[in-house]
Amino acid sequence: MLAALALPAAARTRPHYGGTLRVEVEGDPWQQARRLIFDGLTRIGADGNVRPALAVRWESENNDHRWQFWLRTGVHFHDGSALTSAAVVESLNNLCGANCPWAAVRAVGSSVVFTGDSPMPNLPALLAGDQLLIVAGFNANGETSPMRPLIGTGAFQPEGVSNGVFSLTANDASWEGRPFLDRIEIAGHKSIRDQWLDLSVGRADLVEVPAEQLRQAREQRLTVVASPPVSLLALAVAGSGALANPNLRAAIALAVDRGALSNVIFQKQGEIAASLLPSALTGYSFLFSADRDLNKTRALRGGLTSPPLTLSTDGGEAMQLAAQRIALNLREAGFNVQTAGAPQHGDLVLLRLTLATSQPQAALESLLRAAGVATPVLASDPAGLFQAEREFLDTHTLIPLLYLPRAYAFGGRVRDLRLGPDGTPLLAGISLQDTP
Amino acid sequence: MQGKLNPMKLVWPRAVVLIVASGLIGLAAGAAPTPGPWEQSAAELADQIAAILGPGQARLTIRNLSRVPSDEIPTIRRLLEQDLKARGVLASGVESANTIRVTLSENLRERLWVAEVIEGNETRVAMVRLEPGSQQQAQAGSGLALRKQTVLTTSEAVLAMLETSHGLVAVEPEEIVIFSHMADGWRGQKRFGIGQKRQLARDPRGVILASPGGDGFEAFVAGMACSGSYQAAQPEGEWTMRCAESDDPWTIVQPQAAQAGSGTQMNVSVTPMKAFYNPARNYFTGVFSPSLGADVPPFYSAGQVVRSAGSAPLLVNGIDGKVALVEDGALKPVAGTRDWGSDFAVLRTGCGAGSQIVASGSGEAAADSLRAYELPGQEAVPVSAPLPMDGTVTALWAAPDGKSIFAVVRSAADQYEVDRVTASCNE
Repeated sequence: MLAALALPAAARTRPHYGGTLRVEVEGDPWQQARRLIFDGLTRIGADGNVRPALAVRWESENNDHRWQFWLRTGVHFHDGSALTSAAVVESLNNLCGANCPWAAVRAVGSSVVFTGDSPMPNLPALLAGDQLLIVAGFNANGETSPMRPLIGTGAFQPEGVSNGVFSLTANDASWEGRPFLDRIEIAGHKSIRDQWLDLSVGRADLVEVPAEQLRQAREQRLTVVASPPVSLLALAVAGSGALANPNLRAAIALAVDRGALSNVIFQKQGEIAASLLPSALTGYSFLFSADRDLNKTRALRGGLTSPPLTLSTDGGEAMQLAAQRIALNLREAGFNVQTAGAPQHGDLVLLRLTLATSQPQAALESLLRAAGVATPVLASDPAGLFQAEREFLDTHTLIPLLYLPRAYAFGGRVRDLRLGPDGTPLLAGISLQDTP
Repeated sequence: MQGKLNPMKLVWPRAVVLIVASGLIGLAAGAAPTPGPWEQSAAELADQIAAILGPGQARLTIRNLSRVPSDEIPTIRRLLEQDLKARGVLASGVESANTIRVTLSENLRERLWVAEVIEGNETRVAMVRLEPGSQQQAQAGSGLALRKQTVLTTSEAVLAMLETSHGLVAVEPEEIVIFSHMADGWRGQKRFGIGQKRQLARDPRGVILASPGGDGFEAFVAGMACSGSYQAAQPEGEWTMRCAESDDPWTIVQPQAAQAGSGTQMNVSVTPMKAFYNPARNYFTGVFSPSLGADVPPFYSAGQVVRSAGSAPLLVNGIDGKVALVEDGALKPVAGTRDWGSDFAVLRTGCGAGSQIVASGSGEAAADSLRAYELPGQEAVPVSAPLPMDGTVTALWAAPDGKSIFAVVRSAADQYEVDRVTASCNE
């Protein structure tokens, strides 16, 4: 799972301080900025293991029903207020909804204690997730307001938004050390074509490369860094309504031609998947068959007339094409499927889930939670994980299709670009070549 | 395939041998049966298969999705067949309705052997985990050859380290750690908080030096100076340490008698040098105490180069990437350093000119490398092949006797490895 990183020819020197990094993205710049502004109690290291962040250590008791996290001292929010256990509890209570891994969280001295009705073996890894970053600035009702922006403890603090560009400045008092960069500008809602053009003329330093355009980017001699396959393309199938019959859902799983999706839409840049976790994490993914079998599909349908089904997706052009291809596959298998533009609606939804960690047990629980299953994954060995995956996938409410890498192209002055375990660029560690 | 899992608990093999070619010779067909790398795992998988299938016949197929060499498969098949037979399962039944499909697989952390036991329409699964194999890294060499030996591996950043007769003393950003040697390697025994109050830079650096008596040390990290000593009078010996805020310059060159010259023993005095460090950044300011009499720019690393003529000018690697000698109160640019990274250390080898400069560099490789150079005039001449390191070199310094250097390497997995690098002549 090594990133395909092309390095500049000159010898590497220690990072220089200063300069502004210009990033362009297709989506909302906030998605990139969030990780720069806020920190979690934990983080996932490059090796996939949980590392200290705002918490320096943690212990579990009572068979993982109770966890205590001790906070790092001397950490301050961007407004100068100290990070306290009360602030952490307030943040977690405001951000974590009904699907929380814990039943209660409370401040105990300089620590935070989580208690759960079920064991929470993966809590340290789950606390590294984007949804549970520590945020201050809520009002008394636990709400946000434009008059009171959210603040964090991260390496950068927001400066403002101008002409669609989100600007951030270095936090000199960052607990991780002052970042090398003085400033980061993230321009959002830029087409890939415009991003690559800006990179080529020196108007951008870091741009996106969709998986299906990786080959093209390399042909154009862009310097590309690509993650291992971390983005799971999957088909969510409603377990009620028109598809309440489990045989119909199983038939849909057998009708999709993953090979065509991989070869045609995603230009062979993906890894065909029928399991939730990729092969690199488990070694057993071959136990889940990814083969298309129209005979079995028909047998499972058993002459049932397919009700009209809708298939939607919220992704870009490649996702729309993939949805159309899947709809074609299903029609070939006798299903009456129409694609719909409305995102996250319909009997079938084509979506992407991100692998947050390369630690298999936590990764599986994280994926299951993203799929709406709040049950903790208790097994840590391959046999137990296989069983947990098998049981969930047998419901056919989520059909894994492909694992795709995340990739970025960058300019010659960008130094020390690394990708996180979820494939996102770790912007806070970048330095620039031409700064003195 | 609707696989059900065999309820047997999976266990690690009790003895797993590293997978190196030399270790496999004894496993070739017809060789005497000696314990090999696969025996324990084959026996455990056979146990699980037999528990599922019971006595009888089955057709055995093996496929390899792992990096196990294909010429190992016959050995593994033979072991599995033997172990299954010992448990009442005859694995040669080609006509049997039962099938045992074994897949040799692997993931990022370990090898995994999976058996799908197919009886009619039902498939049950058994799994055995194996530790990953490892391979020795070959060293390339021409003339002088550099070699490395890993001393310590840790998940914490090591800024500097000192070998003492009472253990290793490692400087981390916020702690000084004493490592003691145990049967399974160096283990952290005691940690002393430095009491750092200021925010560290993102690329923190540190220095540790042996005290003259050899039973203590002096260490520097941004804005702090620490000293420690070993109290042998205590019943089991004990380290004591104290740290204080300090803006004093760091000692970057220790006083010692260095030797230079090939064949002739030439003693040249290496004078102590102290330089001011910028605690908010990752470099030295260029100001020395006492002054060198030259306008030295900010630099990342410096070292005294003993030359055969008897002089010992200071070599500095500036933050602008330019390398220069400070000699006779003037700054003299050094050529041939295009491939240098930011760090170097002076290694006393007795080869060639007697001492060489070992510099880090990355070139076009994914990981850094170290390479030895000599400096006959104002041009660095490479005298060794690059020694590949397993990641980014984050610190480099010479041992107190100068006969080896230490490199801290951060791997892609954010693990830190301290390597001792030595040189041998005429290879």
